[in-house]
Amino acid sequence: MNKLFYAGIAFALLAGCSSTPINDANAPSAGAGAGAGAGASASASAANGELSLDKLRTDSLLTQRSIYFDFDKFEVKPEYLDVVNAHAQYAANHPAAKMTLKGHADYRGSHEHNLSLGQKRAVSVKDVMNTSGANDSQIETVSYGEEEANQNCQGKECDQDRRVDISYEVE
Amino acid sequence: MKSLSKTLFLILFLFQTAQAIEVIDILGGKANELAVAVIPFSDDDIDNEKNQIHNVIKSDLSRSGFFRIIKTEGVKSLPTNSDQVDYTFWSGLKAELLVIGFVEKNDQQIKVTYNLVDVFKEKLIISTEYIGSLKQARQIGHQISNVIYEKITGTPGVFHTKIAYVQKVNNKKFHLNVSDMDGFNAKSVVISNEPIISTRWSPDGEKIAYVSFEQKKPVIFVQNLKTGDRKLVANFKGNNSSPAWSPDSKKLAIVLTYNAFSQIYIMDVNGGNVQRLMRSPSIDTEPVWSPDGKSIYFVSDRGGGPQIYSIDLASEQTRRVTFEGKYNVSPRLSPDGKLLTFITNDNGSYKVVVQNLMSNQVMRLTKGKNDEAPVFSPNGHMILYTSKESGEATVLKTVSLNGFKQLFVDTGSLSNQEATWSPFNF
Repeated sequence: MNKLFYAGIAFALLAGCSSTPINDANAPSAGAGAGAGAGASASASAANGELSLDKLRTDSLLTQRSIYFDFDKFEVKPEYLDVVNAHAQYAANHPAAKMTLKGHADYRGSHEHNLSLGQKRAVSVKDVMNTSGANDSQIETVSYGEEEANQNCQGKECDQDRRVDISYEVE
Repeated sequence: MKSLSKTLFLILFLFQTAQAIEVIDILGGKANELAVAVIPFSDDDIDNEKNQIHNVIKSDLSRSGFFRIIKTEGVKSLPTNSDQVDYTFWSGLKAELLVIGFVEKNDQQIKVTYNLVDVFKEKLIISTEYIGSLKQARQIGHQISNVIYEKITGTPGVFHTKIAYVQKVNNKKFHLNVSDMDGFNAKSVVISNEPIISTRWSPDGEKIAYVSFEQKKPVIFVQNLKTGDRKLVANFKGNNSSPAWSPDSKKLAIVLTYNAFSQIYIMDVNGGNVQRLMRSPSIDTEPVWSPDGKSIYFVSDRGGGPQIYSIDLASEQTRRVTFEGKYNVSPRLSPDGKLLTFITNDNGSYKVVVQNLMSNQVMRLTKGKNDEAPVFSPNGHMILYTSKESGEATVLKTVSLNGFKQLFVDTGSLSNQEATWSPFNF
């Protein structure tokens, strides 16, 4: 009983940190996963407390948190597949783990369209993770568009801004 | 005056039919501007020169693109009422209109008397008085500009209206500011540690919707300008962005992602009754309602690069609207729904353009190189946008559809962007 109680708290904490849907009645059936509902079943194993934080902090692949993209491109480049798969594997092995994939775009063009481009990159990373066993309910894809980009980058400098950052909720 | 009325008729005709944009382009430059001399109003009591009423009128009329201001410096006998006008002298200076006035001060009250004079007809067109406090000097100037503007163009002026925009302070604080349309009297309505984008003033004037990153992801707030309350109206999984008001201010078109690409939804302003507008295999974003409420224009990558499309809400029929160029974003409609402004990428330079929705003719309004977020003035005669020179901070500018007059909006601060324009009655 105690164990269950703590599991509930752990879930509440995890859920509290992610987006708090105030009116999430209309989640699309395709691609979006079941949101908080699926999270509840995943939380049962959170009781074990086995998030292996040490691994996240020390593993040579899991400590790599940024995936870079070419100009106007959205496919995960082959050189990043090891990193993306390592995170997917970690998520598959730790159903309580929740991560955010935060997409970015360079500053040129409209703020809103860049938000959509950053999201497209985040979804692209998530899709790879899905095929490696990470559950959609463990992942939230969001975008900062150009809001954290270098507003005066030129040429190669702008490469830094076309990326997806991986972060975990427990960190 | 005969040639003057002809020119005016032509300009107005072009605006009202909204068909002959190319003709405006050919006329271009100063050919269709009226020459107006604004005589100093003997309002030296108003401490800041920029706030002197004649300077407010000069700035307004000049910004509109319909008027060319004739310099009066060095002219010896400046009239203070219409009886004193030396018509031969002013027609010699090629002035077509004179604005003459004076200010009488009584404690903190001012009485402003002004005349609008037609030089060629030697006739007084308008004579009016305004009384207000010294602090209202700018507003009185804007009201005078509005009366002159409507008398000459037949369309109400917008010089009394407000704008809202986002000011980035050292890249650490983000202010949602409201100011006069010329940038004066800026006040912060919201201050956040995280970015704010996509400000949208409601058609009823009461609210501003915007996107905030204060929850470490984009969510949509609605700020009530009367009560000061703000409400989180969309915080779904993923991104919540690009709010667009319906013409009756009761609904918002928004963009949600959940764990997929940006897609457009429609919901009630309080956040309820969320309905998906359509399904697309690619990015759909930046919705904007047509003024008649019957269709929504939006940006989609469904054809490859971003282009502007529209969807008829009754038939759900979608059609592509822009065809020139590979990158067209940020659509906004003129108040009469006949013109579409947007940003086009022209060989790496982002410019404000306007497309006539009947002829589909596209006209470039700015030279770039990093222009963003165009929005029509409430009378449709000007466009407010964000401009940026390489390596410099963003600034707001207006461009007139008549003569493409581009002027800086002096808010007193830099790094201003993502602007919205209030309706007429605010």
